[in-house]
Amino acid sequence: MLKTQEFTLNMGPQHPATHGVFRLLLHLDGETVVKAEPIMGYLHRGIEKLAESRTYTQVIPYTDRLDYLAAMLNNLGYVQTVEKLMGIEVPERAEYVRVIVSEMSRLASHCLATGAYALDLGAFTGFMFPFREREKLMDMFEMICGSRMTFNYMRIGGVADDLPEEFYPAIKKFLKEFPACVDEYDGLITGNEIFQARTKGVSVLSSKKAIQYGMSGPVLRASGINYDLRKKRPYGVYDKFDFEVPVGENGDCFDRYNCRVLEMRQSHRIIEQALERLQELPEEEPLNAKVPKVIKPPKGEVYHEIEGAKGVLGYNVISDGTVNPYRVHVRRPSFINLSLIDEMCRGWKVADVVAIIGSLDIVLGEVDC
Amino acid sequence: MFGEGLIKGLTITWKSLIGKKITVLYPDEIYSLPDRFHGKFRFDKDACISCGMCVRACPNKVITLETEKVAKKKRILKYEMDIKYCLFCGLCVESCPKDALGYEKDFEMCQYKWEKLPMVFVDEEPLPAEEKERLEEEAKKAAEAKKAAQEAAKAKAAEDASQGKEG
Repeated sequence: MLKTQEFTLNMGPQHPATHGVFRLLLHLDGETVVKAEPIMGYLHRGIEKLAESRTYTQVIPYTDRLDYLAAMLNNLGYVQTVEKLMGIEVPERAEYVRVIVSEMSRLASHCLATGAYALDLGAFTGFMFPFREREKLMDMFEMICGSRMTFNYMRIGGVADDLPEEFYPAIKKFLKEFPACVDEYDGLITGNEIFQARTKGVSVLSSKKAIQYGMSGPVLRASGINYDLRKKRPYGVYDKFDFEVPVGENGDCFDRYNCRVLEMRQSHRIIEQALERLQELPEEEPLNAKVPKVIKPPKGEVYHEIEGAKGVLGYNVISDGTVNPYRVHVRRPSFINLSLIDEMCRGWKVADVVAIIGSLDIVLGEVDC
Repeated sequence: MFGEGLIKGLTITWKSLIGKKITVLYPDEIYSLPDRFHGKFRFDKDACISCGMCVRACPNKVITLETEKVAKKKRILKYEMDIKYCLFCGLCVESCPKDALGYEKDFEMCQYKWEKLPMVFVDEEPLPAEEKERLEEEAKKAAEAKKAAQEAAKAKAAEDASQGKEG
């Protein structure tokens, strides 16, 4: 007698569409997914544990290695947490510098997400265009702090160094060109009928489910929930900027993608405003708050969260009054956004699984920590 | 109309055919690196006061610094960076009070042999005992001579002052 049976297929850990060393064990009925088991931990380096044997400043380079596509935001989250614990006021000039570099980081991350998503769906040209802008951003990061991806630029109480002279003309040129570049992405990818057919209506995530599972960032906003920490609970100087929070309607793959493209335009607006305010401030104003040479926060525990590129990025730091943190825990948005992958993939074809993972925009450095 | 988006996308692609190329042919053309680039390390032995700040600043214990004391001065015996563990975070360069550490723009640090990976900036033998004694003696003599010279200058100044009073 002929009979059909389920079979399992390993997608990853070296599959290019899983954006890193992530394994998805698919239970398939023909080409339809019955169950998807995420298996992670291939990139686990124990950063939270490593932080316990480092001083507070020495933890900063390790935070770079979490979400290595938007490392500035990880730096920002960590240093703001320690500042909160110690009660340090950061000078205004440093705050604006921080906003500029972190929004640039968000742009770099979204450029990669957009380009890689196009590549996942088979559009190679669509991949090259956002990468062109990402390259320019990374060149600017290299001017600021000497590295292209692992910056280690923020310090507790300020930033490592002032923005260099050659940075200003470069960013101004970039800001001038960038809106036209986003129009190009829209023309190339967003407006493409094949792309729309692959993404519209695929894996709809309801707003209720998104909240229940603690989704955040563009994934949550695509489901129609206006929740952006930069607006809801502003940290730093984010309350002084005029920008909008793009919100999706349907919560499908297309909306998740589109939210990122729209967010790029908003980040561009924030950088423009921050640059203007920074140049109005006198040059002599300090870039660093007065911080003791040996950083020894008082006993206590603090939790602080910021809006990272992938979602709400939170740091929980416990201090026992010594030079090393007693415990550092990171709320990684990529990891939490991945928690619903099984339900999102069920009933879709294997080709759609690629579209679904791509739309979540995970980065495995952050998932495994 | 169906296919409008495809045509628009194609026009964007074709537009990029004309215009300046944004890539460089790497080994022949080298992209100019900014001043703050984190490349190979530069170590200035004469500027170093072997305070050990860089060793303590390093999150990954990459730097080894060994010294010996000769005539009340620290002499560097070994300064080595185990580059395979380096994060290139720049905390050591930042902590250096004398700018003895820095970056070069060279980023080609690959080696064929594992043993060649650590960057050895200083690797010297400790001085033999006689040499040490000689140097200490010299330093002692120099210090005495300096003290004597100072005393003589003081005495002369006092004499001048008393002469001036009398005059």
